[in-house]
Amino acid sequence: MNDGYTTVGKSFQRVDGIDKVTGAAKYATDLKFENMLYAGLLRSPHAHARVVSINVSAAEKLPGVKAVTTVFDVPKVVQYWFFLRTEKKREQMFLYDNIVRFIGDPVLAIAATSREILNQALSLVTVEYEPLKAIYDPQEALTENKVNIHRNGNIAFKVKKEFGNPWRGFEEADIIVENTYQTSKQKHASLEPIGTCVANFQSSGKLTVYSSTQLPHWSQHYLAKALDLSLNKVRVIKPYTGGAFGGRCGLIHGLEVMCSYLSRQALQPVKMSFTREEDFLATESRHPMTIRMKTGATAEGVITANEVEILSDAGGYGTHYIGVIADCMSTGIGLYNIPNYAFSGTAVYTNKSPCGALRGYGNPQMNFAQESQIDIIALKLGMDPVTIRLKNYRGEGEIDPVLKERILSNGLEDCLRRGARSCGWKEKRLRSPGTGCIRKGIGLSIMLHGTGAARALPDPGSAAIIINSDGTANLQTAAADEGQGSRTVLAQVASEILGIEFDKISVSDTDTDITPLDCGTHGSRQAYCGGLSVRNAAMDARNKMLAHSQRYLGVEKAKLTVRDGVIFEKADPVNHISIRELMQKIQIQEMDICEQVIGTASGIAPAMPGYYGAVFAEVEVNVQTGGVKVIKLTSAYDVGKAINPEMVRGQIAGGGVMGIGFALTEGLQVEKGYILNPNFTDYRLLRSCDVPEIETIIVESNEPTGPFGAKGIGEGSMVNVASAVSNAICNATGVRLTELGITPEKILRGMKENL
Amino acid sequence: MRKKIIKVNINGEWHELAVSLHDRLIDTLREQCGLTGTKEGCGEGECGACTVNLNGKAFLACLLLSVQVDGAQILTIEGLQNGLDLHPLQRAFLSESAVQCGYCTPGMIMAGHALIQQNPDPDEAAVKQSLSNNLCRCTGYEKPVKAVLKAAVEIKGKADE
Repeated sequence: MNDGYTTVGKSFQRVDGIDKVTGAAKYATDLKFENMLYAGLLRSPHAHARVVSINVSAAEKLPGVKAVTTVFDVPKVVQYWFFLRTEKKREQMFLYDNIVRFIGDPVLAIAATSREILNQALSLVTVEYEPLKAIYDPQEALTENKVNIHRNGNIAFKVKKEFGNPWRGFEEADIIVENTYQTSKQKHASLEPIGTCVANFQSSGKLTVYSSTQLPHWSQHYLAKALDLSLNKVRVIKPYTGGAFGGRCGLIHGLEVMCSYLSRQALQPVKMSFTREEDFLATESRHPMTIRMKTGATAEGVITANEVEILSDAGGYGTHYIGVIADCMSTGIGLYNIPNYAFSGTAVYTNKSPCGALRGYGNPQMNFAQESQIDIIALKLGMDPVTIRLKNYRGEGEIDPVLKERILSNGLEDCLRRGARSCGWKEKRLRSPGTGCIRKGIGLSIMLHGTGAARALPDPGSAAIIINSDGTANLQTAAADEGQGSRTVLAQVASEILGIEFDKISVSDTDTDITPLDCGTHGSRQAYCGGLSVRNAAMDARNKMLAHSQRYLGVEKAKLTVRDGVIFEKADPVNHISIRELMQKIQIQEMDICEQVIGTASGIAPAMPGYYGAVFAEVEVNVQTGGVKVIKLTSAYDVGKAINPEMVRGQIAGGGVMGIGFALTEGLQVEKGYILNPNFTDYRLLRSCDVPEIETIIVESNEPTGPFGAKGIGEGSMVNVASAVSNAICNATGVRLTELGITPEKILRGMKENL
Repeated sequence: MRKKIIKVNINGEWHELAVSLHDRLIDTLREQCGLTGTKEGCGEGECGACTVNLNGKAFLACLLLSVQVDGAQILTIEGLQNGLDLHPLQRAFLSESAVQCGYCTPGMIMAGHALIQQNPDPDEAAVKQSLSNNLCRCTGYEKPVKAVLKAAVEIKGKADE
């Protein structure tokens, strides 16, 4: 398609690609500094206990031990950046106490000159605990009133909202379906384990922290508060990051704060790296949820009411539990035009590893329940699952009742129609699943996910672009590329606006001393929010370039434009000057000017546009073993505009595979607070030989507020995969699964019950 | 602590290294030789991020002791390119958009390299099989598989010339 763009819409190779294929890319785990100490944690063996005393005298005497800090000294971060807004809320972000709340909760940290000395020192520490009764079951947490996991009790958060008149909605319904769904404790499992940083506190009073974080600026704010430092004395640098998926959406429990305290004591750089086992046992996971849902519809398939009650298990500490439940609400209600909706959500603490953000936030859980319900209703009414969705989805021009924003772009109908056509939905849905051992099925699911968090959270975006005297440019952004490719996409946006070739634009690393305030990577926001910041900064630089060129071209800037590195008069392109020549003149040659062109932008995005998707899953179920094989996913997503189509396809395929994992194989198994599968043998990710064909379809609805029409993709591509797979399994076997992961046992049990 | 001197050829050059008996190859490469392109994702032989080539075959550097590789030829991701010229596998990973976060990439490329050495004409099933030791959380594997296939064709084409 020729839309007149020179760089947008083209699949440029990633700006960090060569570093990554040659092994030159340095991740936090690769960093090493002069005089660097190695730090490690002693973790609680109890799920719930009071730390009475810690004896470190033997450890401290060990030669090579340089610093020791304990739970008595160091605060824990227990909220997210919504709480940065007021001084009072800021106080609530930090917890100072000597209680451990899950097996693996950090009790103490030591820094030593070598790993061997560190391990020996850790073994010399003795801790006296007073064990407390632990609560593992979220239902028990709700009712138990003698044991309080946190000072305010076990209920972390509660919300109840009604839209329309649910009672009347159910009165109008011809059929009502009610089920309770359960979702698993999924782990991010980024290939670089979560939990590596180097903290370097220097005598000057300045703290530099290298951390693979999604939120460099908020990490800077949290650390400043935890160490009582001003922001100019805290520098957070984000090196290359080996995947994040929400797992680095804030400080890591026990990592950066502990490390910074140790470095302040030792006045030496201190590095701490969690092992894979520590990542599994003691960093955040997806909130497991129990979702009761009651849905009513007319005989014609118009959904009249939905009642949702969510119980979310936040684990021992919460950071994102409010946002995760809010996301269940906004995505669930936003997707369908259901006039009557009752939503209630409760997050409780339990004595298990903490939960936080994970790709999709609460949406995959909510989507599994709601898209199962819609499918059940379609089945009961004898309606095609595509038709019922087309009949009920909330389309362009309508107001989203939760976000209170008008939907300006919605390509869901295209996603459904193109996806259905491409996978042969009609024929495959009508065919018999077969009567043999292998039954074939096809199912689908749709989703909506918000882009960014403008006005819902503090969500700043900023960018600065400096034009060099040879006409090349440097883009400074704290967009925090975790691997999704935002640096490349943002360079494309800058290139398109500036008229400077893509390979002449360098993109900075994320460094809070240099790059201006940005919320970082969360909420699928960087192509959109980052793209807008970069677009606006590039417009600023472009305007300045055009203004300078008036002097040499003799016409006012409104009559000028720029393309391929040349500024020229629109009506008379022969009248031109190259950016290179212009920059050389104004920056160096003309000694009465000597001005560098610097474009800047900062602020929030104008909206939080929804992006949409439809996934069609084809499965084969072995009814003798209960084994499920996903044969193919056809995944159609409306991304507004694909600035880099191959990167969008990469997000869709990667999300698809993570979604199949969520459906079938993944989830931490917790028994009395012990995680039974803290390794890649027992926690099963899909491997290259397990993955199906994934056909990706990009739909471009052109979001009017977006940069070149773009909106998000990163999270949504996994949101509706598990529900599509589950709906396909039902199509193949007649078994409706309400609990993730869908193991062979559950399928066999379901088949037995159906007999 | 007692050290043993081993002689190994790493990326074409012989080195004499003093290693402890319990040193893992991954630590010797990363810490002693500064070759941090070889990544640690699990330390238990499950993720493949530390895949290196040992005498032409794919091995996991986290499961080998350095004393075991005395006399061996080791190729790591850093030894693949020729000056500024990238190896066909590296180029193919770039052109097929097979890289996202990049943490699994060196291991994937080295697994692909060992495969192509042993089977210059692999089909898709063979590539999927050989990459099945390498976990990737970003790409969904399709693009890395395509990249290895593409590189194999290019390498075979050159060899046939």
